[in-house]
Amino acid sequence: MDLYEHKILLVDDEPALRRMVGGFLTKAGFQNVFYAGSCLEAEAVCRREAPHLILLDVMLPDGDGFSLFDRLHRETEAPVIFLSARDEDESRLRGLGLGADDYITKPFLPEELILRVTAVLKRVYRIHEEKQEDKVIDLGDCLIDLGSGVVRRKHVTGGSADRETADNGSRQSDAAVKDVEVTLTAKEYAIIEKLSENRGRIVTIDALCDAVWREGNYGYENTLIVHIRRLREKLEEDPSHPRHLLTVRGLGYKLV
Amino acid sequence: MKREKSHFYRSGKVARTFQYGFFMTVGIALLVVALNLVFFIISVVVFTKRDVSSLGGGEVREALAVVEDVGSATEEKYVLTDEMAQRLAENKQWAMLLDAEGRELWSYRKPAELADTYSRVDIARMTRWYLDGYPVWLRIWDDEIMVVGMEKDTVWKYPVEFSISWMEYLKQVGFYYFLINIAWIVLLAAFFTRRFMRNREQARIEWIAGISHDIRTPLSMVMGYADTLEQNGELSEEARQQAAVILHQSMVMKELIADLNLTSQLEYSMQPLRMEKIRPAQALRSVAAAFLNDDADGNLEIEVEIDAQAEQIMLRADEPLLQRAFRNLILNSIKHGGQSEVVEIRIKMQEERRRFIKLFRNCDRFVICFEDNGAGFSEEILRRLRDNKKNDANPKIRGLEIVKKIVLAHGGKVRFGNREEGGSFCEMRFFRS
Repeated sequence: MDLYEHKILLVDDEPALRRMVGGFLTKAGFQNVFYAGSCLEAEAVCRREAPHLILLDVMLPDGDGFSLFDRLHRETEAPVIFLSARDEDESRLRGLGLGADDYITKPFLPEELILRVTAVLKRVYRIHEEKQEDKVIDLGDCLIDLGSGVVRRKHVTGGSADRETADNGSRQSDAAVKDVEVTLTAKEYAIIEKLSENRGRIVTIDALCDAVWREGNYGYENTLIVHIRRLREKLEEDPSHPRHLLTVRGLGYKLV
Repeated sequence: MKREKSHFYRSGKVARTFQYGFFMTVGIALLVVALNLVFFIISVVVFTKRDVSSLGGGEVREALAVVEDVGSATEEKYVLTDEMAQRLAENKQWAMLLDAEGRELWSYRKPAELADTYSRVDIARMTRWYLDGYPVWLRIWDDEIMVVGMEKDTVWKYPVEFSISWMEYLKQVGFYYFLINIAWIVLLAAFFTRRFMRNREQARIEWIAGISHDIRTPLSMVMGYADTLEQNGELSEEARQQAAVILHQSMVMKELIADLNLTSQLEYSMQPLRMEKIRPAQALRSVAAAFLNDDADGNLEIEVEIDAQAEQIMLRADEPLLQRAFRNLILNSIKHGGQSEVVEIRIKMQEERRRFIKLFRNCDRFVICFEDNGAGFSEEILRRLRDNKKNDANPKIRGLEIVKKIVLAHGGKVRFGNREEGGSFCEMRFFRS
């Protein structure tokens, strides 16, 4: 099913807000938007239409969104995004221990809403617009193929359009013309995947450790440094003067 | 379903509320003492009245004239004044005079059932208890005994005795006993005052929370439509600019409302904290990285220096709240950057082990310090930040007030100041957990 064909149920007691949010969703391309103004209505619409995603206001005239959420969850598997106007709810929603998929605090920007709705839909219904396997990161003088986990370093001499190598001309002429192909280890792959997702942005040591070792990441900082060094040997022309995998002192790394 | 763990902390008390509570406590305590005093005085006046007016043996004897030369046997040797006779009658009292042998010399209104002579045993008994059920008081007058009595069942009479040691003890302890009583009264008063105050605070917080809730929904619409207008290509450039201004100002309002709510909840110690064990070092890095990532112009430099030993320090904290405090500090530095083009911020975190309490491991503290190269705080602002008594609404320090409250909520201490080299600093001390 196309992302935009999914049925979205919007539950909010304020008609003007319903109109506005509905407008945003339609404008973004969602064709099937349903509305409900109360718990009762929401349950009825839910049974009738079986929506794929529910946008649920926490405060409703005939009950609160949390208990409605509990009731709805007995009948439907549809993901729920809470809309909340109270900071108090935020602390409750923060952990999302309730089983809700996401939450948005009012006031919000239309983009934010659309972004979250699409993200939840993609995640829950596994819609991949772009196949991860085909993803190739082009760093200019080297290509990282995330599909096969292979790094291809091209040493093109002379008329390379690569800006970054241009100011390093002297060293480049020393290097022989060769195509190097190296395979990434699982850990290196995880690191480069995380960095490429946030390309150009700083990724903290902690976030990297999280990505590589999942939980309980404390104490891996030194190991991370070793992995980064090995990665540089594979990616960088001159590993001691990296130009792609940069260290941000005290914080983490970034890929440029 | 996972229930959220929340608890209320009590710190960062506002001085004004405290003063109010203090006066109220003292007031209630004084009121209780005063009421007791009044009750005591009233009871003394009301219940002892009868005894005051009742006549004692001495008075009666004085009003008894002795006629020395008794003419005939029928003539009385003792004559009571008319006035005294009347008073005795009014009080429903009776009197009799005995000689040293217990023989009756004279009597007035004496109940008929009573005897005319009394043995030593009788006299000994009546001095302490009753005479055949009549409460009596004796008065020794030369070698005569004046007995004044009342009707049966009018007076409860019991001799009281205390050992000397008990009286001594009472003299020593009595004062403290009194103090303990006063302390009790004050404690009770404090307890009720506190409850009363908490209810009042609660009401105020709920009011603010309600208002901020009610503003958010309309503001959503203002923001939503302003954004739509700003992106509407059919509108004139000017109109779109105006929409952009509306949008920007709505964002400012959004922040203000969030601040207002958070401040009120932190102020009255009502914010439910979701405490978890976190690593502050991690939180610092993530906040710093977020700022650097959003800084497109490269006008911001943040240096994070975390000691190797400080790296593994854990803190029980509400992480989003703590990150908010860090963010507020960085935002403040950016806002009041002043002097140079590039805002430089240095964040340091290190252990602080105080030598003399080294024995207690959990007394170990750590310091997080934010420094910048800006203009520094003005004296005025530093004074306001130090001043705990006022709930400062000055927009310049609202963000810093929140920092202060968040740090206090985590059992920490905070200090603001200016560096000698220029620029300001904020030093936060926490107990590690």
